Amino acid sequence: MSSSASHVSSGGQDVSEFIIHHLVNADSWHPLPGVGIPLLGDITVFGVDVGLTLHSLMLIIAAGIVFLLFGLMYKKESGRAPTGVTNLLEVLVLFVRDEICINYMGESDGKRLAPFFLNFFFLVLVMNLMGLVPLFATATANINVTLGLSLITLTMMIVGGIVKNGPVGFVQLFLPPGVPKPVYVILFPIELMGLFIKPFALTMRLFANMLGGHIVLFSLLGLIMTFGWIGLPSLGLALFVFFLELLVAFIQAYIFTMLSAMFVGSMMHPSH
Amino acid sequence: MFTAPGLAAIGAGLVVLGAGLGIGQIAGAAMTGISRQPEASNKIQTAMIIGAALIEGVAFFCAVLCLMALGK
Repeated sequence: MSSSASHVSSGGQDVSEFIIHHLVNADSWHPLPGVGIPLLGDITVFGVDVGLTLHSLMLIIAAGIVFLLFGLMYKKESGRAPTGVTNLLEVLVLFVRDEICINYMGESDGKRLAPFFLNFFFLVLVMNLMGLVPLFATATANINVTLGLSLITLTMMIVGGIVKNGPVGFVQLFLPPGVPKPVYVILFPIELMGLFIKPFALTMRLFANMLGGHIVLFSLLGLIMTFGWIGLPSLGLALFVFFLELLVAFIQAYIFTMLSAMFVGSMMHPSH
Repeated sequence: MFTAPGLAAIGAGLVVLGAGLGIGQIAGAAMTGISRQPEASNKIQTAMIIGAALIEGVAFFCAVLCLMALGK
């Protein structure tokens, strides 16, 4: 930190490198300032690159944390009110199941598909929160991760639509009733595009929210790099942005799960 | 001024204009609703957060496009 205070003229280049280094995928994990763990990155199976990179490792760690929370730290005690971690997990699970799944997909389908959306909610929430801890990196700030999650939503939309309505009924979802026949030529491609734009908006929303928040945070911390001791009050601003990021992490997890449930529900139980 | 980075910065400013206007209207309507009927404040707050997140999604998408244009 004191060495970069003397390089004020080259501060701009250092700051952008500092920001980019903390946000993009890398081939090694630096949990602490002096410790660097290289990850095996060049394993190719049948032409598909299945090597381990930083964000894949974060995905695995997030899945491990969710397993830990629900497998080991959840204590089922019948006959008494739950306390501690059990209480917190039950509040969140009931919130997702009642307000999101049953609200958008009805009683029976909502309860049946609740584990699927709980998976989305907890994975996205844990990955967002992990990005705020200096030890880990933000996996959801990588568009490939969010694209993968919304492709799962797209698959569920298509499969759910075909299973619930049959193949013919699925095509009829894109032909709304009460419209004269020639308009279908224009309306059908537009409705089909709407099917693919909804998950695309999901990925861009989550990706850009996480990326933007972290860019702002690191830019404010980069002020200290550029100006030395004078830039120290920017820590107050950075703390405020950090708390905002905490709120955005929860909100984005809720929005992702809710919109996924709304899209899948509109395919399985069409209102028109 | 009409180089790619200059136009990208102007574009980012326009994105902020649109998002600020949109979310400001949502927040204003939500405050009017809460002041008229404080019992419904929970539902109004939830709907406001959802609406703001949807608009912010579009704004962030355009901000990412401006960032990409800045880097070219």
